[in-house]
Amino acid sequence: MNVQAEKWPVARKANKGSKIKEDKATIVFNVIGYTLLTVISLVCLIPFWLIVAGSFTDEMEIISEGFKLFPHTISFEAYKSVFTTPEQIYRAYGVTIGVTAAGSLLGLLLTSMAGYVLSRKDFMYRNNLSFFIYFTTLFSGGLIPWYIMMTKYLGLKDSYWALILPPLVSAWNIILMRNFMKSIPDSVIESAKIDGAGDFLIYRRIILPLSTPGLATIGLFLALGYWNDWFNANVFITSDNKYPLQFLLYKILSSAAVLRTQTGAYLAANVVPPAETLKMAVAVVATGPIILLYPFVQKYFVKGLTIGAVKG
Amino acid sequence: MSEKRGFLKEFNKNRTLFLMIAPTLLYFIIFSYIPMIGVYYAFTNFNFDGGLFGSEFVGFKNFEFLYKSGILWNLTKNTVLYNLAFLIIGNILQIVSAIFLAQLASKFFKKTAQSLMFLPYFLSWVLVGAFVFNMFSDLGVVNTMLKQFGLQPYDFYLNPAPWKYIIVFFNVWKGIGYGTIIYLAAIMGISDELYEAAKIDGANVFQQIRSITLPLLKPTFILLILFSLGGILKGQFDLFYQIIGNNGLLYDATDIIDTYVFRSLTVNFDIGMGTAAGLYQSFFGFVLIMTVNYIIKKTREEYALF
Amino acid sequence: MFKTKKRLSLLLVLSLMISLLAACGGGTASNSPGSQGAEKSANGEGGAAEPKLEKVKLSWYLVGDAHKDQSKIVAEWNKMLERDLNTTVDLKFTTWNDWKTKYNLLLTSGEKIDMIFASSWADFYKLSKQGAFLDLKDLLPEYAPTTWGNVPEEDWDSVTVGGGIYAVPNTNPEYTPLGYVYREDWRKEFGLPEFTDLDSIEAYLDAVKTQKKVIPINGAAYENVNSLYKFWNDFQLIGGDVIGATSYDNPRDIQILPYTEEFEAWVKRMKTWEQKGYWNKNALSSNQEAGDFIKTGQGAIYWRNPSSAGGFINEVKAKNLNMEIGFFPFTRFHNYVIPTLPSSNAMAIPKSSANPERSLMVLDKLRNDPEYFNLMTYGIEGTHWAKGEDDKTILIPAPGVNLDETPRYSITSWGWRYEPNMKNEKGGWDGLDALKEEFSPISKPDIFGPIYLDYAPVKAELAAVNQVFEQYGKPLMLGLTSDVDASLQTYRDKLKTAGVDKLLEYIQEEANKYFDEKGIQ
Repeated sequence: MNVQAEKWPVARKANKGSKIKEDKATIVFNVIGYTLLTVISLVCLIPFWLIVAGSFTDEMEIISEGFKLFPHTISFEAYKSVFTTPEQIYRAYGVTIGVTAAGSLLGLLLTSMAGYVLSRKDFMYRNNLSFFIYFTTLFSGGLIPWYIMMTKYLGLKDSYWALILPPLVSAWNIILMRNFMKSIPDSVIESAKIDGAGDFLIYRRIILPLSTPGLATIGLFLALGYWNDWFNANVFITSDNKYPLQFLLYKILSSAAVLRTQTGAYLAANVVPPAETLKMAVAVVATGPIILLYPFVQKYFVKGLTIGAVKG
Repeated sequence: MSEKRGFLKEFNKNRTLFLMIAPTLLYFIIFSYIPMIGVYYAFTNFNFDGGLFGSEFVGFKNFEFLYKSGILWNLTKNTVLYNLAFLIIGNILQIVSAIFLAQLASKFFKKTAQSLMFLPYFLSWVLVGAFVFNMFSDLGVVNTMLKQFGLQPYDFYLNPAPWKYIIVFFNVWKGIGYGTIIYLAAIMGISDELYEAAKIDGANVFQQIRSITLPLLKPTFILLILFSLGGILKGQFDLFYQIIGNNGLLYDATDIIDTYVFRSLTVNFDIGMGTAAGLYQSFFGFVLIMTVNYIIKKTREEYALF
Repeated sequence: MFKTKKRLSLLLVLSLMISLLAACGGGTASNSPGSQGAEKSANGEGGAAEPKLEKVKLSWYLVGDAHKDQSKIVAEWNKMLERDLNTTVDLKFTTWNDWKTKYNLLLTSGEKIDMIFASSWADFYKLSKQGAFLDLKDLLPEYAPTTWGNVPEEDWDSVTVGGGIYAVPNTNPEYTPLGYVYREDWRKEFGLPEFTDLDSIEAYLDAVKTQKKVIPINGAAYENVNSLYKFWNDFQLIGGDVIGATSYDNPRDIQILPYTEEFEAWVKRMKTWEQKGYWNKNALSSNQEAGDFIKTGQGAIYWRNPSSAGGFINEVKAKNLNMEIGFFPFTRFHNYVIPTLPSSNAMAIPKSSANPERSLMVLDKLRNDPEYFNLMTYGIEGTHWAKGEDDKTILIPAPGVNLDETPRYSITSWGWRYEPNMKNEKGGWDGLDALKEEFSPISKPDIFGPIYLDYAPVKAELAAVNQVFEQYGKPLMLGLTSDVDASLQTYRDKLKTAGVDKLLEYIQEEANKYFDEKGIQ
């Protein structure tokens, strides 16, 4: 407690010139806050709503009249095209959920350990290693050597590992993690050390519980990364029962596009899928359950696990 | 020699820490460092018989197409300015949103707002592009509104001027949920005791924000900016390509290195030239981040990235 | 589990090193063993396969998507292959997702592939020159004798690069010239003559715009205008969009087209078209197909080739859109047509293949044996198709089959198509046959497509020129710049700075080399 007050003297400044009545300031703050956030939320919601509404619109109506908040004609054409083989979609959902869960957990473990090590001020090589990790964001040898590494040397072609490994650890997540953990005062670690706790124990019993918002953030980022990843499946996965959702949906879109441009003279016309509304339906299907993850993660965005609580 | 001893000593002291970070380091060696040999493609005229190291070495010939155009400087400037605008405007908005989200009382409102702010993140740039087109085309929403107010319609797709703002707007819009979360998590890490103390001292909410929240968010802000500096020349291809498309009339204001390279290599893709362009972007970012980090380290060490 | 993986990767490391060494030795490999199994199964009847043939598993790659029933069909195919050639094939698809990236990756990374689809539009010439494919010249007569015999000489020429034959082209001449589908009912309503030239098209556009108040070329306009430009002026573009021969009859008159008077006249005319509102001001940014607007009654013209025009017309009919659609092929401007280049659909063997001989034997069967051909091209008889009234006709869907449950079998079988084995489908657009009849007598060989360009000495110039074309050429061609004279000047200047002269010189040289070789004046 005292340690912090000394460390952050800024807090003491707050008492100067607090002439305004607190209530009034809070009211002003609330008015601005609610207004601003409502505007931002609407600006974010409306386009998404237009897409959702669009996905249920007749293709011809979209072409001739554009996006609308409430379409005249309701059509399920686009969803029919997405769900021509429903088993495949469900299976892809399964793959995506599995890969997302496994990858996020494993990624979170590695990221938090690395972040913890780099945040330890008594660790001599923390800067060198931070640089070592950051450097990978600067230079890349491109797709080909990486692909050869994955397929020839690690034998990961058409393996679920090819979906789990590439997004597993990223410099961005590690450095963010390091930053979150840096805000935990050294004194906590010091006193644990005096109590005879080892480095791993400190990480598991003290650092992790104190970093819940950080862990939730990185966990969410990892999960989003896995959920939205189609590229790795595109390059590595060849059997269609291993397709993750995003890849499958993207595949449906690109086959539809090809079908439309290459429509042969003999092709029965009703096979031609809608183009515009299909894109939107795909976006809706792809967003699907992941949007429910967010409120779940929000649970961890609470204060309360204060340092005092842990100490005591 | 002494360094080696230093390493051994450090290793003995912090063996557990080394072990904990070892898998991550191994990961980067395998998936990033070894494949990095691929940058050598930039200096070769690739053929299949020779492969990476057996192909003819051509020096800097693959870089020619970049500077020969005479607009490399303009492209570099565009890319850097766009990225700076994204970073600064984006981060400020994210900080503001995070502060409000952390302070407002209504739980329901906060949760809803936070979830809604994440929605744009899920829309692909293709869809955003279609949406933008719907707004700004000849018969789009904006022009229809202008006409209703008795104003002249505006040919957005013939004039580069407004596109800077449109692009920055949509990029900031798409990333707001993602970035806000980082700041929100950082605010959650601030001890409540600080606010309690400030309240006892009679500080109102604005004063608390100014003297507690903002100063404590500063390291995160600086970190995010620093982290992004290395990628300052790497543009978001999809954002620009989906919104601007093939409209050459708008390129003066909206062309970045990635779109330029894409256009240049559509007829004849060349792995050497593609790698060369990437290497230019990397090298620029590398020099920039090394310089900036060096300066920061000399002045405010705790903010340095590495 | 982990141990095996480790050992496996060690093995892979070793094999890579060996293959690297082999590669360093310079394109050797091809005259490899296994030749003793090369029984000359001429005339494609090789039912009595030599038992000597060693069992081999091949890996084939096609672009595009697999069919829902693909595994069934491939299983069927493998039964036949095992019976006849003691071989099985693992048939893989790139899917259409970002297929070009994947295609290049497969080849560049040296993955073991025994046969892959190849095409002039998938960089066949460049890849051949760079050494991605195996030279089949010596293998073909021995391992694919039937194909070797029935592919015409000039078709082999079109896949010959620097003396080597790097692919087996399909043998299925097609005509795919561009043209316009348009609202024929409106033309009749306006009392306008049929299209014959630019003026008649302009009259039609004008009537659509003024009488129907409809933007005739709605949505994305560039390709609609660009295809008209090329065919009307009879420009034969070579390598990109800027340089070409001024007409089919003057192949050696290769120029920088934007420097010509015809180009100047064209862009001036297009400016007037743009001012009259034949297309939108946002035509370059629009991603909407002009054809979609025809269907909604908000457009009148859309560029298509005959086959896709047929598809469009069928769709309009099926949707009961109550409009009559006509098709005008641009070939009528100059009264000749060029068939598709044989190299635009072919099969090639990557250098990484371990069994090129066997792979060729399989291809020889696939192309020439109707049993194989029908299965892989049309699917399982009775499920995906049924026999029609004669041997050359088929019915799709087969009687009693619902297309919603069993979609049409249409994988990218383009690479092995052989005309005598091809079948005609009942139903469809009748205009197509009429066009075939129209095209056959006026067909002229493609003398520009096979000009081989790898751009090695002018890569930087090509990239720069292409970018200038995209930035300055396209808006100019659509009349979207305010001052045509000034922007034409800018365009020409920018091209010059980009090094267009050097590119021209290179293309002229390569073209003349080819013309000399073929005796074209």
